[in-house]
Amino acid sequence: MSYQEYLAARDTVTTIGQPVISVIFIFSLALGIIAVYHMLSNDSRAFRLASQLREIDTALLVIGFIIIAWFHLRIYQTIEVVYPPELANYMASTMGTSATSLRFAVPLWIETEKLYFWTLCLSIFLAVTNYRYDFIKTKMTALFSSSLNIMLATFGIFTYYTSNPFREPLPGLHSEITGWYQAAGVGDPNVLYGALYQLYFRITYYYNSEYMWTHPPMLFIAYASLVVTFVGCVFMLFRREKIFDRISYSHAKVGYLLLTVGMLIGYPWAVIAWEGTDWWWDPKINGSIMMWVLYSAYLHTRIYLKRRNMWRATAILGIICFLSLVFTYLLTYIAPGIHAITQ
Amino acid sequence: MTPELNIKPKTYDFYLMLLTSAVLVAIGLVCLYGIGYYTCTNETTPQWTQTQMYGDYIDSMNQLIYPFVVLLLVALGLCIPKRIVPRQSLLAAGTGMLAATFLIALITNIGTSLAFLLAVSIVVQAAVMVLTMLGRGGLTYEREGYFVRTGSSMLHLGTVIFVFDFVSMRSSELHIPVFWVATILITVGTVLSFYPGEAGSIARLLRSGGRTS
Repeated sequence: MSYQEYLAARDTVTTIGQPVISVIFIFSLALGIIAVYHMLSNDSRAFRLASQLREIDTALLVIGFIIIAWFHLRIYQTIEVVYPPELANYMASTMGTSATSLRFAVPLWIETEKLYFWTLCLSIFLAVTNYRYDFIKTKMTALFSSSLNIMLATFGIFTYYTSNPFREPLPGLHSEITGWYQAAGVGDPNVLYGALYQLYFRITYYYNSEYMWTHPPMLFIAYASLVVTFVGCVFMLFRREKIFDRISYSHAKVGYLLLTVGMLIGYPWAVIAWEGTDWWWDPKINGSIMMWVLYSAYLHTRIYLKRRNMWRATAILGIICFLSLVFTYLLTYIAPGIHAITQ
Repeated sequence: MTPELNIKPKTYDFYLMLLTSAVLVAIGLVCLYGIGYYTCTNETTPQWTQTQMYGDYIDSMNQLIYPFVVLLLVALGLCIPKRIVPRQSLLAAGTGMLAATFLIALITNIGTSLAFLLAVSIVVQAAVMVLTMLGRGGLTYEREGYFVRTGSSMLHLGTVIFVFDFVSMRSSELHIPVFWVATILITVGTVLSFYPGEAGSIARLLRSGGRTS
């Protein structure tokens, strides 16, 4: 097992994954066009065709995710950060640890894989929602289903252009791995120890941490669920049909639960990993609290839907909540602070 | 077709919900201000988090959020026990709590007054949770309402403990253990509040020893 095998796996991911995401892009584009056509024409054939395209899109997204998972497994198998013998002996004598190397157990939702994972979760939520509700029953519910399809299509297209995980798989991690092998090849112990020091903390507190395996996926599943809530709230603005509230609320419950637990379990990790750094009232934390309190307010107002003006107020609040969610997600890319992508 | 919606007269619960929602939105706006301030300051002074400016920013955010946290705690104190304690008594107790909090803030400082309010809130919410679980206020075990209210009281108790842990226990060794207690209460409370039917079914199944009728 070696760096060369890792590079071969990385090439394989690009070779197999690029066609898969290209097909996802084509199906997403077709799904968007057919869904818009259905909204304009109310043609039931277009509705059925969109449903089929969505199902294929979901299947392709699952295949893509399997490729990503395989790549991560290969990273674990091939890359081994071996401690210099003197360091291993020192650790054994002082810390009582028998570890002589580190491996990367990289979560499946980092770097360019984040948006892909969100899109995958959304497609699964739409599959479940379409299974549970007979959307073709009325004109409005069929339009609602098409709106959800347009959201999925938008995510698919956006992922292809801005966050394609197969074009250049995990560029940040790749540069770290390459940097380690370069440092190991120099033959200078200072360079080697410097690289090992950096990598040790990255692996322990980021890649291999339980936090990274739980906190981000919970949030992305929540985000996907809350996309459905958003579309439901938009429809609530125009039509007082209980089904839109029911779908919005059922997805808001899943989203809020995962959002709450996901945000909370990040805290103990932050206390340890960010010790000594300035992270309190950081933009991303502000954004997360803002999103959470707004969704809390939405869930409160929703209790009194039957009261005068509350239907509309709840729908508007649900839309604001989603805007805050998107804003919070983007804060990683546009705002400074400890969560910033450049950090 | 648009169904006829039953418009009911406005009540105590409704106004309390409006107050709670308004306070939550206000907290959201404070956070939005924080994002803007942090980003703009970082543009003009890139290393500002290494200076006293960052400490001042933290203090100003704490001061801005403080009145809304107090209002939220008072709203929680008026809302959750309403099925167990008469509303007039609750309003009187809420006003008293608010007055005492401001008095303590004037005499000592904001942190101590908030810690006082949080400690009182924990006692109240814990008592409400126990009473709810015991079935006070006409609640019957295995009914959906029972789980909604038990969940709700757990969720609110967890939230109050969580804020208390943040305000008063950040340098304590018990900070993280207390955090986990709050997290468990919030999580279980949310699940029970959102899925009372399922919780009731599980409770009935457990009570019948796994026999389905």
